[in-house]
Amino acid sequence: MIERLTQLFKYRALIQILIQRELKARYRGTILGFLWSFVNPLVLMVIYVLVFSIYMRIDMQNYPVFILCSTLPWTWFSSGLNEATNSIIINGGLVKKIYLPSEIFPFVYIGSNMIHYLLTIPILFLFLILFQVKVSWLLLFFPLIVCIQFIFAYSLSLILSSLAVQFRDLLHVVPNLLMIWFFLTPVFYPIAMVPGKYLPLVDFNPMARLIMAYQDIFFYNRLPSIPSLSIMAGLSSLLLLIALSFFEARKDLFAEEV
Amino acid sequence: MSAIELKGVSKKYRRHTERPLATTLKSYFLHDLWHWQNDHKNVIWALRDLDLKVEEGETLGVIGRNGSGKSTLLKLISRILKPDAGTIAVNGKVAALIELGAGFHPELTGRENVIINGIILGLTKGEIKAKLDEIIDFSEIREYIDDPVRTYSSGMYMRLAFSVAVHVDPEILLIDEVLSVGDAPFTRKCMDRMNYFKKLGKTIFLVSHDLGMVQSWCDEAVWLDSGQMKLRGNPTDVVAAYTKEIR
Repeated sequence: MIERLTQLFKYRALIQILIQRELKARYRGTILGFLWSFVNPLVLMVIYVLVFSIYMRIDMQNYPVFILCSTLPWTWFSSGLNEATNSIIINGGLVKKIYLPSEIFPFVYIGSNMIHYLLTIPILFLFLILFQVKVSWLLLFFPLIVCIQFIFAYSLSLILSSLAVQFRDLLHVVPNLLMIWFFLTPVFYPIAMVPGKYLPLVDFNPMARLIMAYQDIFFYNRLPSIPSLSIMAGLSSLLLLIALSFFEARKDLFAEEV
Repeated sequence: MSAIELKGVSKKYRRHTERPLATTLKSYFLHDLWHWQNDHKNVIWALRDLDLKVEEGETLGVIGRNGSGKSTLLKLISRILKPDAGTIAVNGKVAALIELGAGFHPELTGRENVIINGIILGLTKGEIKAKLDEIIDFSEIREYIDDPVRTYSSGMYMRLAFSVAVHVDPEILLIDEVLSVGDAPFTRKCMDRMNYFKKLGKTIFLVSHDLGMVQSWCDEAVWLDSGQMKLRGNPTDVVAAYTKEIR
């Protein structure tokens, strides 16, 4: 277990360069280049505001800021998980030809999407200023929430990517599950709108806890729920342990099955 | 100490024959889920109970027909595959020129890909930066080195990939049928490089259908047949026996 993690550390130069490869290649050959990272979330935000705030009248002050501070980390989660699920298969060329610890591949995609997320934070700040939303020292919680989300997403991606090698169906299942998960998570509606008897559904949703923590520090300017974050930290670490041994048990087959 | 030592190594592959959907679902739930690991019908043995020892500094040629297990052998030595039985001991840093250009990204430039590929092959960032110029010169495509790799001809691509691979500086070199990547002058240059490695006393493991090369260049030859060693010895004798058999 510790050995697996030091393995990741030993290969950090490779991880770093593969993340760079993903980031560089993503917009290479486009005219807007890196600006696409800003355009995509803005388009998403405008359409949510139009549909939910204007058509469906979710009554909420500074709704665009609310949307941004929750969709940005959700996008990290969902694109990261989608890409990471495919990571062993898409890097089959490497897996089959060179001896590398395969657990770096899902790491690279969760990582590159995280960097993408972090690079879009300035837009969020721009909107915070534009809408005069107050933020405070509570922003110090941000790195912690990001860390927990990383561990949670990486653990899931270890399980999904190793299964996807053998069961390609997952490449179609995961996007669908993520869509359902998205609607069940308070990303574009506040938790206050969920009827009381459905609240357990939110309680059992790890992503809801994380997204609400982001909303607390960026939007409501209040202390995120410490018990909730502690539960998530514990749960993610436990999941990581399970996921690493699950992955370990399957990785010998990758070079043959990919 | 030998550079490579295999004892009783066997390797099997599972077959993936396409079946109609109804059959796959049914057999998956009724059968594969419980039995797939010891399903004898769908298994191919690529190597069977192979013992092989390669001494340090030796150049060994491996010949045999398609499907005889040559590439599987290389992949086992480079740890990409795990044997189903037996043990493999390798002493020294291994570089596998198995298929070149693994990890090349078409959208990135030649230069960027050299750096990525070098690190994938086990160089540190410092080492690759220090060797960058030498690698580019060796490839002879400096003029295009800052163009995306997708615009390269297949010859340029292979030249670049080969140049990175031969600058990794391993102790054990595994070569699978890659020396014929370029035109005659480039092939000659690659041979020079190989001779240089040989002179430095590196262990070389060459898989090739170029019998002439195995005969003239290797210290010893091994003939693989259906996953087993049929003959080992002086390259001239082994090549002669093999030629007689396949004619």
